[in-house]
Amino acid sequence: MLVDFELIKRARAGDGPAFNQLVLAYRKRILGTIARLIGHPEDVEDVGQEVFVRLYFSLDQLRSAEVFEPWLYRLTANAAYDYLRKRRRRTESRMADLSEQQVMVADALAGEAENRNDNERKRIRESVDSLLGAVSEEDRVLLMLKEVEGLSLKELGKVYHVNENALKVRLFRARQRVLKAFLANRKRTAGVSGSH
Amino acid sequence: MDHRDYDAENGEAQLDALFHAYRQACPDPEPGAGFMPRLWQRIEARERVSFVFGRLARHVVTAALALSMLMAFAVIVRSRTAPLPPESYVEVLAEDHARQSLDYVEPVRMTPVADQAH
Repeated sequence: MLVDFELIKRARAGDGPAFNQLVLAYRKRILGTIARLIGHPEDVEDVGQEVFVRLYFSLDQLRSAEVFEPWLYRLTANAAYDYLRKRRRRTESRMADLSEQQVMVADALAGEAENRNDNERKRIRESVDSLLGAVSEEDRVLLMLKEVEGLSLKELGKVYHVNENALKVRLFRARQRVLKAFLANRKRTAGVSGSH
Repeated sequence: MDHRDYDAENGEAQLDALFHAYRQACPDPEPGAGFMPRLWQRIEARERVSFVFGRLARHVVTAALALSMLMAFAVIVRSRTAPLPPESYVEVLAEDHARQSLDYVEPVRMTPVADQAH
């Protein structure tokens, strides 16, 4: 916990300065999570603010201060999901739309993690974003929380209010779908580089 | 080991590495200077909307209540000025049924057998 329970209780009771302190304590972490969940840095602040606005209006429904963090993660996951759904409706970007260059980058990424400039980071984000087009928005958020944010199954269970076994099955299927897309891309890239 | 199994296993490791690279490529961003002021603006704007909506909803409920009371009053007044028929509904139905069942009864025509022969 980044704050003490007393601050959460005060914010829940409608104390504005306490809520302000709460946001200041969590905003960087939440913005980071959103950045990785949605993969579009230009919209991170907007989605982050939406999370805290939802928090402000739903804080009185929080059962106890102890469950604050899973609650905040739930709001974050929901806001990211809403954003991704809207975005997908706009762009409909899928694996099939990946340029050959993007596919090659996605493959090459696995080996080299150092000395990347902003351009490369952007390409990594785009590649992962495209790869995750193989799964639904819900599964994408779930997979990112597990694989990238490093949340345990127990923590995810608290966020989603679902039992761990159901989550395990869902995560496995989502990961298999992404892996299949990843392997298909690799094969395609190998074919492209082989033909040149 | 089967070639396909090796591919999948290799792919799993590479996918993990890709997720790791992604984590590195997206560090926690520094919030902009306008983050908090904009957040409070959004909260206040939404509070205003919910306040206006709440007031509107209260007015609509009040108007609906007044209208339903008015209609109830009108129904009571009307029922007093035009009293109901003395019979009960069941009696009216029974009477109507009796009239209808009479329609189906026709007089029996008896023709003598001798007349039929002609």
